[in-house]
Amino acid sequence: MALTRQHPEAVIAAGCSDLVAQFREGLEPEVLISIQRIRELRAISNEDGLLRIGSLVSHAEGSRSPEILSSVPALAAAWGSIATVRIRYRGTLGGNLLARRYRYEMPVILSALGAQMQFQGGDIAALPVSSLWDPDPGNVGILTAVTIDTPSLLWFGYERSMRPLSTVSLTVRKNPQAGLTVTAVCGSEYRQPFVLSHTAEATAITELDPAFVGEVLAAQLPDEAGDYSGSIDYRRHLVGVLCRRLLAEATGNQRKGSQP
Amino acid sequence: MSLESPESSQETFTHKVEFELNGSPERHSVPTSTTVLDLLRNSCSKQGVRASCERSVCGACTVLVDDLPVAACSTFAFDIDGARVETVEGLAAQDGTLSAQQQAFRECGGFQCGFCTSGMLMVTTALLRQNPQPDREEIRDWISSNTCRCTGYEMILESVERAAELAGAKQQDQAPE
Repeated sequence: MALTRQHPEAVIAAGCSDLVAQFREGLEPEVLISIQRIRELRAISNEDGLLRIGSLVSHAEGSRSPEILSSVPALAAAWGSIATVRIRYRGTLGGNLLARRYRYEMPVILSALGAQMQFQGGDIAALPVSSLWDPDPGNVGILTAVTIDTPSLLWFGYERSMRPLSTVSLTVRKNPQAGLTVTAVCGSEYRQPFVLSHTAEATAITELDPAFVGEVLAAQLPDEAGDYSGSIDYRRHLVGVLCRRLLAEATGNQRKGSQP
Repeated sequence: MSLESPESSQETFTHKVEFELNGSPERHSVPTSTTVLDLLRNSCSKQGVRASCERSVCGACTVLVDDLPVAACSTFAFDIDGARVETVEGLAAQDGTLSAQQQAFRECGGFQCGFCTSGMLMVTTALLRQNPQPDREEIRDWISSNTCRCTGYEMILESVERAAELAGAKQQDQAPE
């Protein structure tokens, strides 16, 4: 922390897969601080329903972590499905998020889970992962961990079969008062992830109508979600299908539509 | 393309990097921006580590660092200080006897132009260390990390399966009675 305060302009290096690419794109930092060997940043814990994942946890470690497998097994499965074998061993959670590349998948996965980025040594203690593409928050210091609140989480799933055109991560959470909130995050190769949300007056997941909720969520995609690979109409259709598919899995209702 | 910039006006900061390469100690002084690919090819004469996409995508530069496959093109040399690094040049025995992986790729025709072969062999080596008896799905997952533009992958799949057989037989031969 002292080093980052001394050199606020420093580039922080972890797994470096993305950083090497940035060097090739012209990045020439005067100061580079490698945090690769700080063991504390590799810790994963689950206490009182708060899953805490250190920023240096690699994709391979995250997908096999007993704490994640026992609390949100679908997160472990989703995490293990991204990238290639080489990058899974080298790439870190923090690097994947802070690279802020549209095509990277952890922002999509974690935004749906309502994950919070925890920082140290800067002016901000925490920010939601979904804020990654908001205007620059200023000096945040070092990303130490990502936290996920698990008690209200009823279901999580990730659909990447249509990548790079569209990926969708989806959660169903129980609201504190009443009802369920379905959150879907839509990612793609050329556009930032978009967060879509629907609150349903339901007491159980099985009461959700996959086709209806899927349509409601897809309709929220803004026009700018259309890109080189597909018009906004096509992307809304595609996201609707993927949301419906995930919700069908969540509800155990494998019918394509809501009508028997 | 090396990341080192000899024309840079700034004073270059160098790191002392000591590591084990194919069982032998290596000691180098490198600028911060030196990649493992630069170091292995330019300073250690390991031309089997292919320079290709240089974006961590194709796998042609795959080497093992402490038994794990990494893209040499996207790993800084300062990060392998104290590590055990293996390249394709270290697979065969001192007398030239091919490793099980090399033997299998030769038997099954797991290569055509050969450019991706060293990376494929290193990925296979890492896989078989983690799981000596992988099924087709796991083999497919691992080798799909590497790009081959000739074989269509089928013969590479068969090569990895055969490598697992040969390595298993070799271990049985070496097992104490």
